[in-house]
Amino acid sequence: MSESADDKWGIAHVYASFNNTLITITDQTGAETIVKSSGGSVVKQNRDEASPYAAMQMAESVAEQVKEAGISGVHVRVRGPGGNGNKSPGPGAQATIRALARAGLEIGRIEDVTPIPHDGTRAPKNKRV
Amino acid sequence: MSERSVSRQKRGKRWYTVLAPEQFDREELGETVAEEPDQVLGRTIETTLGELGGDAGANNTKLTFKINDVGSDSAYTEFVQHELTRDYLRSLVRRGASKVDASITVLTQDDYRLQVQPVAFTTKKADRSQEAAIRRVMIDLVKEAGTERTFEQFVDSVIEGRLSSAIYGEAKTIYPLRRVEIKKLSLRARPSEVAAEEEVAVDVDESDVAVDE
Repeated sequence: MSESADDKWGIAHVYASFNNTLITITDQTGAETIVKSSGGSVVKQNRDEASPYAAMQMAESVAEQVKEAGISGVHVRVRGPGGNGNKSPGPGAQATIRALARAGLEIGRIEDVTPIPHDGTRAPKNKRV
Repeated sequence: MSERSVSRQKRGKRWYTVLAPEQFDREELGETVAEEPDQVLGRTIETTLGELGGDAGANNTKLTFKINDVGSDSAYTEFVQHELTRDYLRSLVRRGASKVDASITVLTQDDYRLQVQPVAFTTKKADRSQEAAIRRVMIDLVKEAGTERTFEQFVDSVIEGRLSSAIYGEAKTIYPLRRVEIKKLSLRARPSEVAAEEEVAVDVDESDVAVDE
């Protein structure tokens, strides 16, 4: 490793849907994954995978491993399902960012990278109960 | 067991410092890790204009650089894209006003092919004819800028906002404008690629003529 071992930056990709939250921490190019985690690794019940609590737990363990890898700060890219689906990030997004910050990682830019269609395929019809 | 395999992987990897092109004073963009130097080629890295230039005010512009050369522990990049952040563009859009977009492909003086997407925001709803006229001005100015500037000069003029203010100056006589920006500038082909395409294009042209007769 180079001389600046403790001021490296990474990117935290946070995919927060209403059914799950995925956290992937990569280097600044996004090509090399350092740590990844998802809701299922911290909670038992499927419906809890998207919960803010799960996101917090994940972020804490991820932050620890990231610091071990010599990264002190992250830029955050949040995304929701996007496309034809829901454009807003789920409940896990906020909790993740807060927990990452509380765990001692520096937070740089926060950006929303939800894929927005410039008109593509037809959207699914409305759900009826 | 898993821990041991992780450490074996880590041993082989090295960090490379990613440097900006000469045009941006070879500034440090970040670091990336890889096992082989070859793996670093083709990776892209994104920064904001504010981070690159050192002033915190200009963080609405994202610049993307692609690694095209690797040294012993540093990687060299070329400019591939300039883009405004989505939240900034969204903040400019107002209700009851028009947004005029255009997407223009130009060839610069030194044969780089670029795609330029200017966008203009009017103060009030503009008629379609006025929108079309604004778009015409955009296309003309961008094409003109392409013929008289090299790739580096063109990128500079977009980043410093000279191209967008030129469009603003011309187009505000058509309809009062609130703001003009270049929302995206991306590198489509380098001179060698353009030349290779041209060779192929000539062949097709000749056979087309023969078919017509």
